[in-house]
Amino acid sequence: MDTLVEIQDVTKVIKGRTIIDSVSFEVKKGEVFGFLGPNGAGKTTTIRMLVGLIGITSGDIKILGSSIKTDFEKAVSHIGAIVENPEMYKFLSGYQNLVHYARMSKGITREKIDETVELVGLADRIHDKVRTYSLGMRQRLGLAQCLLHDPKILILDEPTNGLDPAGIREIRDHLRMLAREREMAVIVSSHLLSEMEMMCDRIGIIQNGKLIDVQHISDFVQGKEKVYEVEVDDPRKANGILQGAHPGLPVQLTETSVILSLVREDIPEMIKVFVQEDMKIFAVREVTKTLEDRFLEVTEYKGGAGDARTDSK
Amino acid sequence: MLGLIQNEWMKIFRRPGTYVMIGLLLIMTTVAGAFIKYQESGGTVPDNSEWKKGLQTQNESYKKQLEEMGEMAPRDMKEQYQREIAINEYRIKNDISPNQEYSVWGFVSDTSQLIEFAGLFTIIIAGGIVASEFTWGTIKLLLIRPIKRVKILGAKYITVILFGLLVLAVLFGYSALLGGLLFGFPAEAFPYLYYYNGTVIEQSMGLHLIAYYGLKSINMLMLATMAFMISAVFRNSSLAIGLSLFLMFMGGQVTRLIAMKYDWAKYSLFANTDLLQYFEGMPMVHGMTIGFSIMMIFIYFLLFQVLAFYVFNKRDVSA
Repeated sequence: MDTLVEIQDVTKVIKGRTIIDSVSFEVKKGEVFGFLGPNGAGKTTTIRMLVGLIGITSGDIKILGSSIKTDFEKAVSHIGAIVENPEMYKFLSGYQNLVHYARMSKGITREKIDETVELVGLADRIHDKVRTYSLGMRQRLGLAQCLLHDPKILILDEPTNGLDPAGIREIRDHLRMLAREREMAVIVSSHLLSEMEMMCDRIGIIQNGKLIDVQHISDFVQGKEKVYEVEVDDPRKANGILQGAHPGLPVQLTETSVILSLVREDIPEMIKVFVQEDMKIFAVREVTKTLEDRFLEVTEYKGGAGDARTDSK
Repeated sequence: MLGLIQNEWMKIFRRPGTYVMIGLLLIMTTVAGAFIKYQESGGTVPDNSEWKKGLQTQNESYKKQLEEMGEMAPRDMKEQYQREIAINEYRIKNDISPNQEYSVWGFVSDTSQLIEFAGLFTIIIAGGIVASEFTWGTIKLLLIRPIKRVKILGAKYITVILFGLLVLAVLFGYSALLGGLLFGFPAEAFPYLYYYNGTVIEQSMGLHLIAYYGLKSINMLMLATMAFMISAVFRNSSLAIGLSLFLMFMGGQVTRLIAMKYDWAKYSLFANTDLLQYFEGMPMVHGMTIGFSIMMIFIYFLLFQVLAFYVFNKRDVSA
């Protein structure tokens, strides 16, 4: 796979404060890259640097080999983007909005506009004023706007912000389809973890302006040890037994169960011990770690910032 | 570039406010026309065959007053009298009566006061054209096109100028049309007389009005340029419009006050935008020449543009 976007050691300093601290990553063709982080971590700043809305203090961003700093027009012509909400001219119709943006890129025909409108499913309302659109429709118009010039890279900042579940699903399907069928590289930012889990192939976690981890989504969610929930009649006693066998083992207690992480092979051994101690076992369940748990783990471990937790809802 | 200007034009003319502004201008012209027509009740001027005598008496009284006051007379009053005397003498010599029938030219000349309003509307457009993109949030989608920022801003400025010219053309065209309908086109237009550098020059009325419009609009275009600069630098349309309008109405007055005491007032923009002062009156500060004023206008223009383009090009769009 070829690399479409290269972010090389990018740093942004605003008024002496380092907002982004030497971030580097790459995005390849046909890939959906998720950019994850709590509010204020620098997601939007990074995305704005990607599309040239704000300057780069040091480092460089290359889009298909062209630098956004020195060769802005060429670099940005490969990009379609929505930065935060897709704000459109409300007093114009959807179609006029698209014509407006079409005039700003080379060689976009009327047919191309119609085709794009069809693709995002706005055909029957496109001549209405944008003022009358729902948020979901505006989001789709935003998508149409960034697909007009057949970009190779799609950049969406918080694309599902404020959408209802149906709208979120729609956007997600569109993005996956575009990445698969048109082999576009898609960069999405979000603080909604469950969302990213369903949408992305790879995610990068940013916190306090530093990129702290880039992983494939499957590796990310699953570590080697898994978490199991064991439903027993007396969780306190169970904990005592476990602590006796492995002092210092982190065990979480609930009303009816103990939760602990284990390697799969150790489960029979644990059950055997419990049975010997005359405990009643009702169930042993694997708890799949969600991206959210993992995210909190990673951010807390690496950054140690408590504010990550408040933002991850 | 053409596409960009087309875009800006579309964004101006798809908003109802623009039509309200142009409509207001038309209504004001119409009201002025109706009022004058009613007042003149037919627009006939009493045929005063004794006008030459009248002018002579006037000149004599002017001269007498000048003599009486001698060195005491304020400079601008002296020049005002000298101008009146020269023009009156020219009229007597060349048999050009000051009593003309009120015609389309008189009307166009009267309604040219409304250029101030044309200026006001252009300032409103200029103050909003950049700042609005920021308040609407559309600036983000506008600046991620494969077009340099300088070009986008350039297209916006050209659009402001085009809009200003359009409003002027509408005002001129409509008042000429309305004036013609209400007061008739005269068979022969009386020449317009102006006094420049100590001599009286005769000019056709049509040419005079066009020149008058042209010179008057310099003030308006400079203020629009300033509003545009403030709009681009501070991203705040209220500030841009408010400040520019304030300066439009007060700038001249304040500069005049300062000019009474201090010579440096001549470096103010408002001492220079009114080029008519060299033809119809006298310069605000003694010793100013038309060349100096053009120079100053050019320097201010450059300053506004450099500021607007530099800041807009460097700006981090993070709102």
